[in-house]
Formats: sequence, structure tokens, C-alpha cells
Amino acid sequence: MTRSTTRTRRPRPPRGAAPPVLALGPVALPVHPRSVLCAVLLLVLVAAAAAATLAMGRLGIPLTRLPAVVTGAGEATEAFVLGRLRGPRLAVAVGTGAALGLAGALFQSVTRNPLGSPDVIGLGAGAGAGAAFAALVLPGVVPVPMGALAGAALAMAVVAAATGTGLRHPGRLIVAGIGVAAMAQAFTHFVVSVMARDQAGVLSAYVNGSLGARAWEHAWTIWAVLLLALPFVAALAGPVTVNEMGDELADALGARASATRTGAVVLSVVLSAAAVSVAGPIAFVSLTAPQIARRLSGAPGPNLALSALVGALLLVAADLAVQQSPVGDGLPVGIFTMGFGGVYLGYLLVREWRKGVL
Amino acid sequence: MSPVLSAEGLTLGYGADPVVRDLDLGVAEGEFTVIVGPNGCGKSTLLKALGRVNKPMSGRVLLNGQDIRGLRAKAVARRMALLPQSPVAPEGITVRALAARGRFPHHTLVRQWSPRDETAISRALELTGLAGLADTQVGSLSGGQRQRAWVAMVLAQDTGVLLLDEPTTFLDIAHQYDLLELFADLHRQGRTIVAVLHDLAQAARFATRLVLMDGGRVVADGPPGQVVTAALVEEVFGLPCDVVPDPRTSTPLVIPHERS
Repeated sequence: MTRSTTRTRRPRPPRGAAPPVLALGPVALPVHPRSVLCAVLLLVLVAAAAAATLAMGRLGIPLTRLPAVVTGAGEATEAFVLGRLRGPRLAVAVGTGAALGLAGALFQSVTRNPLGSPDVIGLGAGAGAGAAFAALVLPGVVPVPMGALAGAALAMAVVAAATGTGLRHPGRLIVAGIGVAAMAQAFTHFVVSVMARDQAGVLSAYVNGSLGARAWEHAWTIWAVLLLALPFVAALAGPVTVNEMGDELADALGARASATRTGAVVLSVVLSAAAVSVAGPIAFVSLTAPQIARRLSGAPGPNLALSALVGALLLVAADLAVQQSPVGDGLPVGIFTMGFGGVYLGYLLVREWRKGVL
Repeated sequence: MSPVLSAEGLTLGYGADPVVRDLDLGVAEGEFTVIVGPNGCGKSTLLKALGRVNKPMSGRVLLNGQDIRGLRAKAVARRMALLPQSPVAPEGITVRALAARGRFPHHTLVRQWSPRDETAISRALELTGLAGLADTQVGSLSGGQRQRAWVAMVLAQDTGVLLLDEPTTFLDIAHQYDLLELFADLHRQGRTIVAVLHDLAQAARFATRLVLMDGGRVVADGPPGQVVTAALVEEVFGLPCDVVPDPRTSTPLVIPHERS
């Protein structure tokens, strides 16, 4: 449906023109100019949203004071706002958004299914249940990120088993995902309300996803996982792109289709679990970020880097809205993204249904 | 001369009832081999095994005398290309970008572009007559052009051996011959081609060698004139027929008997 619009909007290079190439020593990478432009723009927007997050509101650090405060020359209150109140929350938001965007891009690409997103098929809810269990039932025994990872992996396994056809059939994947997500959320509610009745505040975080009261340890967790995932993402980017053309062709091109899919799913599970362990199951960033990235770049393929940037921007902007709007104060950011993402999910379901995919 | 591609004792499929059983086949360099046979005879399964897509239950496939399972997947893909029956065109991809994907086996993690890419892609687009449509989206092409775009992709792969799985299915008759003539040209330029086709007349007209399969075995193998006989067609396809020479090319043409 965007086909005709993108075609008229995009400036046409001369027919058969080769794409520019970034060459540096042994490195040679083709460059998609519009994607680079989008990446720069997104970086500027993330920076702007980050500055606004620090500057706005009652305790905000004025923009003119930001450079001084960031370099450690601020007053005590300012340093407290940056170091304890808003800095960690912002760092978690950027990292979590990027992780969710990447996880979604990988998963949607290898399932060849715009609805095959970790948040739609119950991975996030599974990770949330695992995190809640680890944090509330086994505090100190199992680290929360490990609980989240186990929950996400279990959800993934149940979904793959329940469809009877692995991850191939879009319709079955979604139905199984809805079931798994419901079970996982029921389990989370059970853990929080029965076993940890006195900690009602944590409920919203594990059920809906929230960035309230984040500390630097949360930021380190998500950024460390992102950093560790980076070489794997880089190694998988090429094969994942080839995989979109079907298993047989990917195999024939030497891209080893099933190994690629397994790698991408594992990476997606790890990134989703890491995101959930620091911010709870925030809905629909994984679903929407890759698709916004694709529309921005106009390039086929998983658009991994752009998906991460869009994810970061979405989450920082959503959290800014939640923090600064008069009605949003104290609202978990996951509820906010669910409101917007739910509308998009509905649109996507109708579109895929009309196309006859479901 | 030793064959460029060969199957030795190949058994393919799953479980107790394999699709292909203990099959031997040698393809010499420069041949245009066409595999024909009734539905379910195992011809596509065989082609996929030759292309390293299917893993054999037993036996092996040799490319230039080396077992392809012992070679790296990308190393095989630099020498042999396979066009499957229903590849998926990524949303929004242009003809040139699709052809460029055929360069994947020539790339490494840090070198995802080489000067030879440009020559290979341009040449593939020229050979398939798509140079003028390079920036057109694959989704907006006609069926015949779209199939040419896929052929351009496997040509950009720049391999000596080309495996084609029913490349003319779903095309109208003009586009079918159009594509077959293109394969004949590629064959004349020295490529080794192995194709699975449905139409016996087309197979006989373009192949230098015909392999007839039935029930997972090769039942006849040789020049089209020797393989396509009325007796064999009736035996394998269950179709009583006459075989007459094609008035233009003298290759065998199957004329089915009317049912009385």
C-alpha cells in the first residue's frame, strides 16, 4: 500500500546506478544513503528527546545547565536529578528501546511475518512472568534477568510446540502467542497477588512494563547485553537478509537457513528477556519499530540498526510523554505504548487478513 | 571426462519410504540436462539434494569430485546456483537489489561488496533483458519479468552450474519459451544447466540430455530422441500416445490418444 507513494517520493538514481560503497582497508560495505540519513535524523531526535527528558518539569535541569551537569560540574540537586532520578531511567529507556527494536526486527525477519514479533507472540509476557517469579518468589536465588530469560525461552518453546508447524504459519503463531501471553500474565498476576501481596507496586512493572524508579544497575544490564549482542547481530545481518527469500534459496546461497533462524530467534529471546528484566514487558515497541524503520529507509531487509534507533526513540518519547503529561504521571509507560501499539496491531491484523496471510 | 556434478547412491526423503532410492547420476560440464517424470517421482527432491538444500539419508553429491557436505555452504554456492520453485521476493525490493542478493556467497562479514559485484550484477541484468528495469520494484513486474529477475539473481551468483526447479511454471506459453531460449543461450555460453521441467516437448526441444524419473529412480537417460518414446511415456505417465518429430526442430513431440 505504500508502494506507490514511496516510488513517487523517492528521488530516482540513474538506471542501473551502483550504490555507494564505504571502503576502508579490508572493510567494504555498500551504503544505502537514505538509511544513513534516517539514522542521523533518528540520532538527533533521540538526543533531543533525551535532553527534554532531563530538562522538562518541576525538577528539570535547564538546557543551558545540562553540559555542566553532565560533565560533573552541577549543583547537588542537579547532580541528584541526573544521577539518581532521571539519568538511569533515561539510559534504561534508550537501551531497552533499542533492544526491543532489534529483537522485533530479527524475529519479524526470520518468521517472514510482520506480526511475528516477540511482544505479539507472548515472549515479553513470558519474560515478565519469569522475572516476577525470580524477583518475588526466589529473591536472591535466581537473578531477575535469568528468570526473564527462562520465562522468554519457555514461552518461545510453548508457542513453537503449540503451532505444530514451528514458526512457519503466521495465523497459528499469533493465536498460540495470544494463548501463551494470557497464561504468562495470569501467572504473573498470581505470583504478585498471592505470593507478594504487600508489594502491589511491582505489579504494574511486571505486567505492563514501567520505567519508574530505575537505577544504574538496570542501565548497565541492558547496555551490557546490547554490547554483547552486537557482534552476533552483525554476523547475522547478512544471512538474515538472505533468509527473507525463503529457506531453499537461502540454503542454496550458502546462508544456512535453519541455523540462521535459530541464531536470530535465540538473540531475539535474549534481547527481549534483557529488556523485560529491566523494564517489564513493554508492549508493541518490538512490533512497530522495525516497520517504522522500513518505511523510513524504503530499503528491504531487516533494517537492524534503524530498528534499534526507532525503538530507542519510541520508548524515550513515550516515557517523556508519561512523565510530563498531567494525566500520565505515575502511569507505567507500557500502558501508554499498549494504547498506541494496540491500534497499530489492529490495523496490521486487518491488513494481513485482507491479504489472505492469516 | 569426469562429471562436474554427480550423485552417488543417493537416497532421499524421510523415514522408511524414501522419495529417491539409491540413485546415481553424473552431469558432464556444459550439458543442458532436463529431469522429467510424473508428479511425486522425486525430481525436485533430487534437484534440491544436488543443490545442497536437502540432506541425503545416504549417499553423496560430488561437485568437481568433492563431497558438497564436506565443503563450506558458501564455497558450494560460489560454484553452483539453485533457483527454487517459489522464492519469496522481499517487500519493496528493486530488480537490481534482488540481483545483488545473488552476490551473498562472494561476501564476508567485513567485505560485503567487491568490484566484481558490479560486473556480475550488470551482466546478469543484461542477459535477462532487465537492465532497463533495474530500479523497478519486483512486486510491480509481470509474471514473466519477475521470473527473469529471479534468474538474474542466480546469474549474478556467477556460477558454472545452474540448477532450475520448474522455472517456467505459472508463466504463459510465450514467456515459457522466452525463458527457455534464455537458458539455451546460457547453455551455449558454456554453463552447465540441470532443470526440472513438466512439459515433455519443451524438455525434448531444449535439453541435450533427458533424465526420466519414476518412483524415485531413473528409468531412462540419454538424448531426448531416445528417451521420449511412445512405449516409455505410456509406461511411466500412463498416457497412451504417439510420438512424432516436432516439425520445426525434429525433436520428439508427444501426441496423446483421445479417450474412446
